[in-house]
Amino acid sequence: MKILTTVKKVVDVELNIHVENGAIVEKGLQYVINAWDENAVEAAVQLKEAHKAETTLVSLGSTDNTDIIRKCYAMGIDNAIHIDDPALAEADSPTFARVLQKVYEAGDYDLVIAGKQAQDTDAGQAGIMLGEFLGIPCVSNVIEIKVTDDTHIQVSRLGDAGTEIVDVTLPAVVTVSDSINEPRLPAMRGIMMAKKKKITVMDLAGLGTSFEEIGGTAPASAVVEFMPVQKRKGGQKFEGDPAEITAQVVQLLVNEAKVL
Amino acid sequence: MTNILVVADIKQGVLKGSTAELLSKAKELGAATAAVAVGSNVTDLAPQLAAAGSDTQYIADDPSLEIFSAAPFAAAVADAAKAFNADMVWFGFSETGKAAAPRVAVQLEAACATEIIDVAIDGDVVHITRPAIANKVLQKMKINAPKLVAVVRAGAFEADPEVTGTENVVTLDPPEKDMAAAVKELISDASGEIDLADADIVVSVGRGAKDQAGVDLVKDLADDLAAGFGSSRAMVDAGLMAHNKQVGQTGKIVAPSLYVAVGISGAIQHLAGMNGAKVILAVNKDPEAPIFNVADFGIVGNLFDVIPLLKEEIKKIRA
Repeated sequence: MKILTTVKKVVDVELNIHVENGAIVEKGLQYVINAWDENAVEAAVQLKEAHKAETTLVSLGSTDNTDIIRKCYAMGIDNAIHIDDPALAEADSPTFARVLQKVYEAGDYDLVIAGKQAQDTDAGQAGIMLGEFLGIPCVSNVIEIKVTDDTHIQVSRLGDAGTEIVDVTLPAVVTVSDSINEPRLPAMRGIMMAKKKKITVMDLAGLGTSFEEIGGTAPASAVVEFMPVQKRKGGQKFEGDPAEITAQVVQLLVNEAKVL
Repeated sequence: MTNILVVADIKQGVLKGSTAELLSKAKELGAATAAVAVGSNVTDLAPQLAAAGSDTQYIADDPSLEIFSAAPFAAAVADAAKAFNADMVWFGFSETGKAAAPRVAVQLEAACATEIIDVAIDGDVVHITRPAIANKVLQKMKINAPKLVAVVRAGAFEADPEVTGTENVVTLDPPEKDMAAAVKELISDASGEIDLADADIVVSVGRGAKDQAGVDLVKDLADDLAAGFGSSRAMVDAGLMAHNKQVGQTGKIVAPSLYVAVGISGAIQHLAGMNGAKVILAVNKDPEAPIFNVADFGIVGNLFDVIPLLKEEIKKIRA
């Protein structure tokens, strides 16, 4: 089985994000592997360990992704392709999905595993659109992947009514929830080996396409401006005798906030 | 005139409040409205969909649609969108919407926007606003495509009780089953519980509750308040709470009138799921817990002392 996983480098959401004049202030930002993509990598490596799958990672962007790719190598990924093109800095979800489609078509993959969304856009579209563009099944928000045989997997998906058990014919795309696994911390040996591994880097032309061909020059939507979120402020904090302060707070919820 | 199709949000046969909220917003924008219901035994919902503000009801009702499957669901919605000549298709915030919207967008060659909190029609131009980066910023986006498929974030719009529509049912052919991603079974969530997405009050439990006894104590409070019962990530990871109870960036996004965070420290990912609440009450023994930076009311104390007291006080006011 050949597995393709997708990773994106995104802004670290643990840090403060500032907005000035409609744009995000770059200074002080740090970039990390998208958390859900780390779950996708872990899922791929687990399938490799249990079923001798070959795992390939593709990262997209206009950034130097060497650090996150080395991390994925250390986790156990076999091959890595980085599509590095300045045009991708402004790309929207369908454009990313079109790039992934080109990468998929250049290989001979049975299964694509993607994070269910990127923590910078929180869009959750690229993986599902990839399945749609390729005309192959896609199951999103997956919390378990079991291999049935060479051409079938069974996945569990968290839906609105409960957990859906889905029999999937390969090739297919799954997008994973962070509930699927706990990504491993790479061992020292893996980290050392990862340093020696080669990363295939190419731009869109190297992939045999162009920004125009994949729809990038006519995006379906575009960000006009960023705005700061009105931050909630801490209100009244009560300390002291539990019985007293609890009674006080309930009175405030009833009389002032009027929510009880 | 803009044509807006709202996808009925149906759970266990019941029409959810978000459908009326979306239809009210569509009417406020001066749009022609329709609703589409996809499922099994959903034809009976047509009068409710009309009352909620739709002037046409597209119905795809078939036993094969009983358990959600993304491809046929999306196909039915796309059929309705084409029949209505929809400029926009709106889903309420749900896993159904998140799974179906990108598919419908590809099929209609439309733009797709998830988790939107506002939409504005300025002449020929449509703008949407949505949070991004774990809710830390808002982004305003211009829709360039002629059509838009959107998932609306919970609590973004309010239902206007004055808004109503007319019944005009159009029956759709049932979509084909997806044989390549065949839903084998549904392990249903415990029924009879209050749905987190609908609840006016949500009580969530975090690591501070420690064990099953702690969870039970907080659950009691939720029951007393007729509240939805949610969880932090930590309690799900510890196996004490089910996945579908997790509130946060990756789980449920809730916008109740009152959110009660019990023993929850307030990780960014959790806050992203609940900071749309009108009022937040936090109970935590650590006075430095980040949850107090967003809570309107904070009780610093051991939850095992505070929760029984809280239950007592609530009983008094409800008596």
